[in-house]
Order: sequence, then C-alpha cells, then structure tokens
Amino acid sequence: MVTNNFIAYSIKILGETAWDILFFPFWWYSYGLVERAKSIIAFLDHRQKSLALLVWIKNIHKPMYGQEDWRGRVISFLMRLTQVIIRSIMMLFWVIVGITLFFIWLVLPLFVVFQIFVIQFDIISLFSKYFQGT
Amino acid sequence: MKEEKKDNKILFITCPTCEGTGKNKYGFGCSDCAGMALGTFFNGRFFYWGPKLTKTTIEINHFRKKFNVVINIFSYIIGLAGLLSLVFWIYQTSQGLDNLQSFAFWREKSGLILFFWVSVLADMFVFYRMNEEQRRQYKIKPFQYKETNTDLPNNWEELVGTKSNFKIDVATGFPAQTLEFVEQAFLLADSLNHRYVTLIHLFFVILSDIQVSAIFSRLNVDSKKLIENLKRQIEKIEISDKKTELSRTIKEALIESYIQVYKLQQRKVTPKNFIIPCLEKDKMIKEILYDLEIDKNKIYNVILWFIVNDKLIEAHRQYRKMAGYKPGSNMDKAYTSVATPILNQVGYDLTVAAKWNRLEYCISREKEIENIFQNFESGEHGVILTGPPNVGKNMVVAGIAQRMVSENVPDIFKDKRLVEMDAARLISGATPSQAEGRMMAIIDELAKSKNIVLFIDNIENIIGITSGEEQSLDLSEVLASSLERNDFYCIASSTNKNYIKYIENTALGNTMKRINIEEPEENQAIQMLESKIGHIEVKYKIYFSYSAIEQVIKLSKKYIHDQYLPGKAVNILELVAVRTAKKGKNSIVSEEDISEVISEITSIPISKVGEDEGKKLLNLEKQIHERMINQVEAVEMVSASLRRARIQMREDKRPIASFLFLGPTGVGKTELAKTVSSVYFGDEKYMIRLDMSEYQHPDSIKKMIGDASGTKGYLTEQVRKSPFSLVLLDEIEKAHGDILNLFLACFDDGRLTDGEGRTIDFTNTIIIATSNAGALYIQDEVRKGTPIEKIEQVLVNEHLNKIMRPELINRFDGIIVFKPLSMENVVDIARLMLIKTGRMLEKKGIGFRVDERGLKKIAEMGFDPQFGARPLRRLLQDSIDNEIANSILGGRLERRDTVIIDDGAQVQIQKGKEL
Repeated sequence: MVTNNFIAYSIKILGETAWDILFFPFWWYSYGLVERAKSIIAFLDHRQKSLALLVWIKNIHKPMYGQEDWRGRVISFLMRLTQVIIRSIMMLFWVIVGITLFFIWLVLPLFVVFQIFVIQFDIISLFSKYFQGT
Repeated sequence: MKEEKKDNKILFITCPTCEGTGKNKYGFGCSDCAGMALGTFFNGRFFYWGPKLTKTTIEINHFRKKFNVVINIFSYIIGLAGLLSLVFWIYQTSQGLDNLQSFAFWREKSGLILFFWVSVLADMFVFYRMNEEQRRQYKIKPFQYKETNTDLPNNWEELVGTKSNFKIDVATGFPAQTLEFVEQAFLLADSLNHRYVTLIHLFFVILSDIQVSAIFSRLNVDSKKLIENLKRQIEKIEISDKKTELSRTIKEALIESYIQVYKLQQRKVTPKNFIIPCLEKDKMIKEILYDLEIDKNKIYNVILWFIVNDKLIEAHRQYRKMAGYKPGSNMDKAYTSVATPILNQVGYDLTVAAKWNRLEYCISREKEIENIFQNFESGEHGVILTGPPNVGKNMVVAGIAQRMVSENVPDIFKDKRLVEMDAARLISGATPSQAEGRMMAIIDELAKSKNIVLFIDNIENIIGITSGEEQSLDLSEVLASSLERNDFYCIASSTNKNYIKYIENTALGNTMKRINIEEPEENQAIQMLESKIGHIEVKYKIYFSYSAIEQVIKLSKKYIHDQYLPGKAVNILELVAVRTAKKGKNSIVSEEDISEVISEITSIPISKVGEDEGKKLLNLEKQIHERMINQVEAVEMVSASLRRARIQMREDKRPIASFLFLGPTGVGKTELAKTVSSVYFGDEKYMIRLDMSEYQHPDSIKKMIGDASGTKGYLTEQVRKSPFSLVLLDEIEKAHGDILNLFLACFDDGRLTDGEGRTIDFTNTIIIATSNAGALYIQDEVRKGTPIEKIEQVLVNEHLNKIMRPELINRFDGIIVFKPLSMENVVDIARLMLIKTGRMLEKKGIGFRVDERGLKKIAEMGFDPQFGARPLRRLLQDSIDNEIANSILGGRLERRDTVIIDDGAQVQIQKGKEL
C-alpha cells in the first residue's frame, strides 16, 4: 500500500516539476522581467534621494547660507552648478549600472543557451556537416 | 440568499444537497455547490474553505515539500560545482601561459566550461523557484470599500456560476506554516480514529505555536493545566471506523479566522487567529478557558498587542529607511539655511535626535499631531500645548520630530529642523538684559535661517523676565511680537494651571493657539503602555502579563488622583519591574504584583482577598473586640458592611459605608471609628475627624469645602489627598443645617464639589457621624430593659427628627445605638487600658501586675453613669501613670523591678532580685 502511494505521489510531483521547468523560460521574460525592472527603478530612486539631486536643481538660483547679496548669489550659483554637475555624474553612473543589470537579465538565458549549444556542442558545424553529408 | 449578519455574528449557509460535506452519496464532489459545501457572505464576497483534506493529500503535501528541498539542495550543489569547475579550468589554463586572451572561457570548448554553463542554468532555475514561492505566498487582499457587490446570488446554482474573484477560498490566506497546523489537527484526529476533526483537535495542536503560547503566557495561563484539560476532552471523543474528515464547525472557524484577519487589515492568517473562533464556537473550550479566568475580550486585546508590536516594527523599518535621507547636521538639504551658533548653544536638535533614534516612539497621538499641523496650515505661527503634567506633551512633540524626519508632514514643515530651546540655559548665568539680548539674537537667527521650528518646553519660565526698567518688555513679549510678524514657527508647552496663571490673556497667549492634550482614555493608555513595555522588558529581563497592564491602568486611574495617565502608569510599571527583576530572570509580572505596589503607594488594601485576609475579615468582630468592650450589635453591623465592601459587593457610586452612631458620651463611638479605620485602612491615621461644633455658622461652609479665591477646604482637601479614609463627623447635630445639606449629595453620589469647582471623590471613604441626641432617653430605656430596636425607632422618630432632616437620616446605611456601659464593661475597659500601660513598661524592662480587687476599685472610682468611661482614662493618668513616671524619674523604679497595683488600687514597687 505504502509503495503504491509512493509511486502515485512521485508521478504527481514529477509532473509538477516538469511543468515548472517548462514554465521557467516564460517566467524569465514575463513576471521576472517586470519584477527586475521594478526593483531597478526603486534602487535608482533611492540613489537619487540620497544624492538629493532634484533638490539641488530646484534650488539652483537660491543663494546658499542665506547670503542674499549679489556676490553671494553669484558664488552660490557657481557652487550649486558644480554640485549639480558632480551629482549628475554620480547619478549617471548609477543609471548605467541599473541599465546594465537589466540588460544582463535580458541577455543571460540566450547567452547561456548560445554558449552551450553553439560553442560547446558546436551545433552549427554539426548541422553544416550534416547538410554537407546529404 | 441575503447577507446574513446579526449582532456582528457571522451566519453561515450550508448546501442542502450535501449538507456541508461537499460530497454526494457516492463520495464524489457535490454538483450543486461545486464542493464549496458551506460559506458566508462578508463585504459583498463569498468565503468558503476550499481544500479537501484527506490523509492522501496531506501525505502528498509533505512529500512535495521534501522533494522540493531535495531539488533545491541539488541545484545549489550543481551551482557551486559549476563555479569550481570554472576555477579549475582557469587554474589549468594559467599553467605556463602569459596571454590574457586565453582566459576568454566563453570562446573555449571544454567539458569543464560546459558544466559551468549548465550550472548557470541551474542557478537561474533556483532563483526562479525562490521568486515564485515568494510570489505565491498567500496574502490577503486589503479591504476595498468600492468593491462591495450589491447583486448577491440567490441560490447555490447562481453562486457556482458567479465570477471566480467574487468567491474566495480562505485557504489562500493561510501560509504553509498555518496550513500545517490544520493538517496536524487532521492527522491527530485520524490517528485516534475520530470521525471528525473538531475544534478541540485544532486548539490542542496550535498550542505548540510560538505566538499562541506567548499569548497564553502573557495571559498568565497555567499551560500544563490547559493541556491536561484538553487531553481529557479529546480522550472523551468517540472512536469511529469511518474515514476522518473536517467537521462543519471547524470549516466555519477557519472561515471566521480569515474574516477576522481581513477586518484587522492583516495580510495572512496565523495560528493565533484561530483562538477566538475556537472559543466562540466550542462551548467546552470556552469553559476550559473561563476556568482559567480568560474571556474573549482579554484574548482579543492580547492579539491586538501582538499586532501593534508587528506594526511598530514595520513602521520602524519604514522610518529608518526614510530617516536615511534626512541631513544629520543643522543644514537643510538645499543648503539655503543660515548657521545658528547662538541657538545651537541653548538648543537641542530634536530632529537630529529622532534621526539617530534617541527619542521614544510616539503612539496613539495621531489626532493631536494632525490637529497641530492643521493649525499651522491654516496660518497660525505658534501653538501652545496644554494639559496636566505627565500626559505626554513632550511625547507629542517627539512624534512631530519623528514625522519631520520621515518627511511625513505638511509642506511648510518639510526639510526643516525642530529645535528645543531650553529656557534654563537661556537665562542661566545672565542678567535679565543679557538674557533678553540672547533671546533677540536667537529670534534673529530663526527668522533668517527659515528652516527651524522652535519648541519651548514649560514656556511660562520665560514670562516675567525683563531687563529691569519699568517700561521694558519681557522675554515672552519679544517672542510674541516676532511670532506676530510670522518670522518662524513655534511650538510651546505648559500645564493647564500655569497656562491660566501666567499665559492666558498675555500678548503671548493671544498670539499662540492653545491646543489641549487630554489624558488618554483607558484603551488608548493600554496601547501606549504596550508600546513601551518592550523596552522595560528588555531592560529588566522580565515579562508583563496582559492582566498586569490592564490592572495598572485601572487601579492607577481609580486610586491615584494627583497624577495623570500614562505617566503614572509607566512609573508604577518601572517600580514593579525593578522589584520583579529581583525574583530572577524571566519572571512574569502579574496582576497581583501591580496591586501590591499600588497598595503600598496608596496604603489601600487592593490586592485580591487572600486566604489570610479572608480569615481576618471573617473574624473582624473578634478583632474589633480586642480593642472595644461591649456594643456587640454595633460591631456586628459595621463588620458586616465592611466585609461586603471588601469583596466589592457594593454600589460603586456611593461611599463604602455610612453610619450614624447614637449614644451617650464615653461609650466607645469614637473608639469604634478609630478601630474601623485601623482595621480597614491599615492605620488610625486614615481618619479625618471633623468636630462639627466648629461648623455652627452657615459661613463655616468655606472652612469645610474652601472657596473660589483659592482657600482650601479642610474636608475636601483631606479627602482629595487621601481618598481612602474614614471621615468622622463628631457631634453632627451641632452643625448648621446648610452644612448638613452638603452631605446629602455626598451620601447619594459619593462626591462633593469643592469651592474651586473640583469634584472630590468620596466613593472610597467610610463616613461615620456621631451624635449625643437622646442620650438621656437611651440611658433611661436601657435601664428599664427596653429592646434596642424599639429604642432606635423612638430615637429616630422623636429625637433625631428635631435636629436633622429626615432625608439625611434616611441616607445613612445604618443607625447604630450604643448602649450605656455597665459596671462589668467598665472593669473590662480598665483592664484594656492597664494592659496598654503594662506594654509600655515592658519596653523599659519593668514588670507589671494588677490585683483583681484593685482593678475593680479603679473601675468603680472611674465610672460615671453620665460620662461613661471617659473619667476612667483621667483617673488612670492621675493616680497610676503619674505615680509610675515620678518613680522612674526619682530612681525608685529601675529595670527588672515590677510595678504592682494592689487591692487598694495603690501603686507598689517590687524590687528585682539582686544579681
């Protein structure tokens, strides 16, 4: 009885696992992709907030440290411009990191499949040999 | 089929075809209800229990779990091995090679590299499975009011046909760990060959859950007893040879637990949510818990406590994340503010403190904070928080600082600092004019910097400080004028009393809007305590039971009147914590510990009536008679009413008891009052004695209850300070009628309003009035042998009526007639008094002996039918105490000597044996 059950359960669960494997590539380019995009956007948002880039841009014409005279205004405009440029460069770096991560996600499965079948098994030459043979 | 709800109780509908089993007679799924069997409508949706639990499905589940673990481990191993093979390949190629290009493994064809790429696939697969598992984790969708479906189906057929997102299988809200408990309950019933899985099986199984057992330990439950009781009930269930299945009630309970979670806006069902449905649906479980002093309300509050804690942790996590963006210096994010060196000297930056988590977490004050923000948004530039001390005015300000850190504030407060200005540091070490100079400089800085909200605690401290000359403004006026110019925002705090005394109607009072911070309600206070308890528990390594928290709020509210919640409750908790910590690690603070401490603080016996005290109360008469001679009826009556009061069998709105003692002078009326005060309140000093002959004039009412000018009334002030006392109104007949009228309200409602308009609580007092009225009549009638009841009747009808209004007489709980003393009584009293003298001598190492004939002679000499036993005391003082004192001073009486009262009632001294 126990062995009977065991076989029945095994078949059921193996079936489920097989379905899992079939579903996996589909998931990678649907749910998985959306999730990745969301997490990268959240990450970039977090970087932006800690750099306070938008705050600096918004206040670019406001004098720093309450120095309202024209010298103060000029100096702080230049200072703020420098700050905005430096912070923009840092932000740009993070944006590039984010986009790269996203593309890695997109390309990774294809690349692995390419590696396995084209480079390792050399399917192309196998095929060409096959066709040459015929 | 209408939404069936009555008295908040969930009503279930059952499929009539399968009668709630979900199966037809052949054992297949019921076609009428599609196997839903039973369910309920709630919030426009239909809820049912979906899974068909059988032994097989449970076994498959277990098998699947194991299999999944195996697959995951296998994939991990492949992933790791793949990396290793890559490393190995690199190692191999590096031997004797100097060209970096040869490391380009993606161009190489090799078994090791192939294995590496396959392992990358395995890694991705594991990643996918973990993600999916997380995504599939069942979560309950939060309430959405718009979704309410108005067209409810009218029969099962329609219900089966409706859209699937309208029907909710509650099992989708059960995470795997929770489902496992249901499965365990099933397996338990199955292994015992029970036909149905019942709530007792489920309840028994969930006790092993960490949270559930924590709930019961918070409730101070003896878990052994609980488990034994449940086991006994499970053993009583009949054995059957049919297949085990879920009973209807358990399905209903599972659905109810889902709805409970849904209502509480939680995301998933955990075993703790099963407790209440189990208790409501199973009488036996209810009885068992009832036996352990637990009801639904208590459990619900403790579950809420756990939820509050979870929410606190969640809110804190969110808060830490947001706090990361707040600048830690005194600059704003955009560097537009001005440095404020002077303010920094006297100020404390609350936002920086909040950012680094140095302020306590503020809870249950959202309304007040919202109110403050609304005032600022509507154009105010200053608010002043007023309220009794210790209600948490500073906590509200801390709450504002925390919200400023997470920028969860109106725009005008965004990117700003909240700085507390310490008035003491502003003033200290400076002459008034220097202080004013500092203040001006600070105000200047505030106006310029534009990113500071000022907080001044106890603002009354800066009022009245002027540079000295008559015309000059004081500090507060400088602040007021600057606030009027809308230079900056300011929050201040003050107690109600100081506000009225110093601030109201001044320039400052007129510019700042007053916001009252009220003492929290009981439930609000419990929540506040619950949020603080974690800290105390960690600090002292102890645990609080839920009842302890409830008790501390209840008792402190009832018995401590000169402090306010939640401050007073927190103080008591700390006190109890220190004490309990001494008992050892992980001790539990119970209700009794709290009562004990409050008892000690207030000198009121509050703790549960223990066995010892029970005996003491039952023998109250005997105890009183140790100090009182005769007056058996009076003592019995008083004792009985005290017993009733101690077991709380009395009306809460009236004084504990009120008596009128009638009888001639010197028969023990005052003595009985004193005895009652020392027996019931623990000491004679808890007696407030008013000689009513001092209140003969109507004007003397002021003396008793005070007046609006601030004169304190003697009675009201004493009772306010010690609400647990005995009030003795001596010779009540001598007071003016208007004054007696005061006591009408006092006897009826247990309260009195004093001259300042405060309500004084008399519900914890015993009021005893004494009177000599009809003393002669009593003496005459007692001599004649008239029964006491008759004497009492005539006294009330003929004698008392003349001096007191009948409505007052009627309001006494008892009118007690004291009999005149007989000769034997006086002998006994003399003996009691001499025993006291003996005790005093004993302390000095001197013996004391009284001859019986001498005692009688003393009694005879000291007895006066008109004055009772009073002359006796004088006689003892004059003839015996004086003599002894003289002998001791003259050196005739020394240690080890014995004083003897001889048969002639003379004092003799017997010298101690020579050593």
